[in-house]
Amino acid sequence: MSVSGTGAELRLVAPGEAIGAASGVRAGTGALIQGSEIIATRLGWVQQLNGVISVDPVNAAYMPRSGDLVIGVVESVRNNLWFADVNGPFNGLLPMSLAPWKVEFGAAREQMDVGDVMLARVQEVDEAHNVVLTMKGVGLRRLKEGVMSKISMNLISRLRGENDETLRSLKEASDCRIIVAENGRVWVDGGEDGTAFMRKVLDLVRNQGHMANFSQSLATLMNDAPGGVA
Amino acid sequence: MVALVPSLLRQELANLAAQDQRIDGRAQFEARELTLETDCLYNAEGSAKVTWGDTIIYAGVKFEMRTPWPDRPAQGSLMCSAELRPIAGRKYEPGPPSPESIELSRVVDRGIRESNCIDMDKLCIIPGEKVLGVMIDIHVLSDQGNIFDACALGAIAALRTAIVPAERFDIGEDYPLTVSMTPTMASFTRVGGRYVLDANEEEELGGDERIHITLGDEGHLHSLQKGLRGTLTPAEFAEILEVAQSRCAELAELVNSKEA
Amino acid sequence: MGGYGDIQLLREDGLRLDGRKVDEMREVVIEAGVLPAADGSAWVKHGLNIAVCAVYGPMEAHPRKIQRQDRAVIDVRYNMAPFSTSDRIRPGFNRRSREISKVTAEALESVVLVERYPRSKIRVEIEILAAEAGTRCVGLTAAAVALADAGIPMRDMIVGVAAGKVEDTVVLDLDKAEDNYGQADLPMGILPTTGEIAFLQMDGDLSVEEYNTCLEYNMKAAKEIHAIQIDALKRRYEQKMGGGV
Repeated sequence: MSVSGTGAELRLVAPGEAIGAASGVRAGTGALIQGSEIIATRLGWVQQLNGVISVDPVNAAYMPRSGDLVIGVVESVRNNLWFADVNGPFNGLLPMSLAPWKVEFGAAREQMDVGDVMLARVQEVDEAHNVVLTMKGVGLRRLKEGVMSKISMNLISRLRGENDETLRSLKEASDCRIIVAENGRVWVDGGEDGTAFMRKVLDLVRNQGHMANFSQSLATLMNDAPGGVA
Repeated sequence: MVALVPSLLRQELANLAAQDQRIDGRAQFEARELTLETDCLYNAEGSAKVTWGDTIIYAGVKFEMRTPWPDRPAQGSLMCSAELRPIAGRKYEPGPPSPESIELSRVVDRGIRESNCIDMDKLCIIPGEKVLGVMIDIHVLSDQGNIFDACALGAIAALRTAIVPAERFDIGEDYPLTVSMTPTMASFTRVGGRYVLDANEEEELGGDERIHITLGDEGHLHSLQKGLRGTLTPAEFAEILEVAQSRCAELAELVNSKEA
Repeated sequence: MGGYGDIQLLREDGLRLDGRKVDEMREVVIEAGVLPAADGSAWVKHGLNIAVCAVYGPMEAHPRKIQRQDRAVIDVRYNMAPFSTSDRIRPGFNRRSREISKVTAEALESVVLVERYPRSKIRVEIEILAAEAGTRCVGLTAAAVALADAGIPMRDMIVGVAAGKVEDTVVLDLDKAEDNYGQADLPMGILPTTGEIAFLQMDGDLSVEEYNTCLEYNMKAAKEIHAIQIDALKRRYEQKMGGGV
């Protein structure tokens, strides 16, 4: 979503609404060809790019795709695998072979127990929506410290900013390590003040992330950051 | 469905408690903002909507004319029932009333019943033949923490604004139900090791046992309930009881301001 | 539908008891996103009816036996609150609610792109808080708004409307007296853009001609309610966009 307060023309559409003629363009996500027209299938903002008309939804559930960086919460542990809630419709499965540890059969719980939080990547999603996770890769690990929060899918880009610029200045201002995962979960680790500041930032994103003046509100909040002006 | 509690959430709540802070920035005994609307449901003889933070409940009062119980031929009856239907949240499932739903109903019911705010003798129309039954139904639409206090508030507010539909029962003109007291509830949850007033959804998820205190007009106790695993000391109870005294008085004042 | 005996439902001037014209619907007010706990939600006031709907999901469908390998199932619960009618409704199993839930779910499955979410379910919880005839239609109107608010993909919205017959006259959107003493009731779930019918029930006595008039009235009302649905959805986000855009 490119909501830059500069008056870019945005059109909000609802399911069933015609958003253009079907000739010469393709229907992207959130859009469908019906007869001679392209219609929206979701409530969202119309986007046209390189001959594709799509609708950027204002709200959507997380649907895992392979390669996604996700924060998961262990829901159950078997002898040689873990099931994790990844904020999607189905639990992700982490087999022992894709875990970063070598443990005896039956001792999986010693490394990661129910309720523990992991940083993982989606290895594979099959047609039946089965999700396989991996923790083999740089930085993938169990998150033992820090706090975990959640924002809706469509606000991830607002928190990151263009080329992750917003995220970078937030890291600097809060002096925290911050991970914004593809599944809408956010991890923050740092001092008390920095963490408290980031809680306020995430509240702002949740409540005002859609608004045109979000960047201004964020800038105001950044002035009160523990590290001063970012 | 058993809710999954991330270990990081419990850690975070413990860290915040150690700094005398809460996850949403409130003080230990500070409640969320709430609004109370009454007379908001067509077809209910008394009604209330409570928006308590992000928790939303409706309460509606209905009357029925019935024959009295054989052992109490000159007394009417009161029944309070709260339904935790699946609309209230992701964790709620369809089916017969859950133990949680029944506990909620009974705790709210006791607070109102035991305060004797409704004179059962006055609900008698013809001794041995006809008495009025008062039924309060509570509907939780959005559970984002502390539904107990919200339900108790909605129930008493709906009662205090209820009109007995006497004409429909052929017993004279409609008249307001006499409710002589305003019992209200204050609930505390152990979060990060200490009690807080009015826990929100995250605090309930990562917290432990909860204590519900219903007080009447004189600050008398009318119903107590400890729910979930955990224990408390007499000193802890004394502290939260004191908080409950001022909180309940505040809530009662709000309810009384809504009367017609 | 019972007989109408002594009750007069149309006035001398041809208007109805509440002053409406025969093809005039009751006032409809819709708000989207009213329940913070839900993934999507809606509040609909239609005449004196009030319906609230929450949508949860898509989530894994369980018990397993309801799971479909090729698509999502829509799990609808239509329920009338105990205080929604003049005589209190006892909570619990109810054949009428079961039937309405079933046909409502099937109507919604006709517009939601269910094949996008195999093995999943989408929970649609409809609660009637106040009832004044036509609650199944109000519930359907609310469900469509709540689904759109939840970001569930659909090929169209869906609108619940009913027409019927009182004193041998076809009228749109029956109120309580007309429903109780009228001669026929034809509730429909209409896809407002394409004009298809996804929900259809009827009881009473209608000639083919009268049916056609009912259909015409319903189609007209569907367009009007659709505009109110879309307005509610857009207001929720356009407000959030602020005046600067």
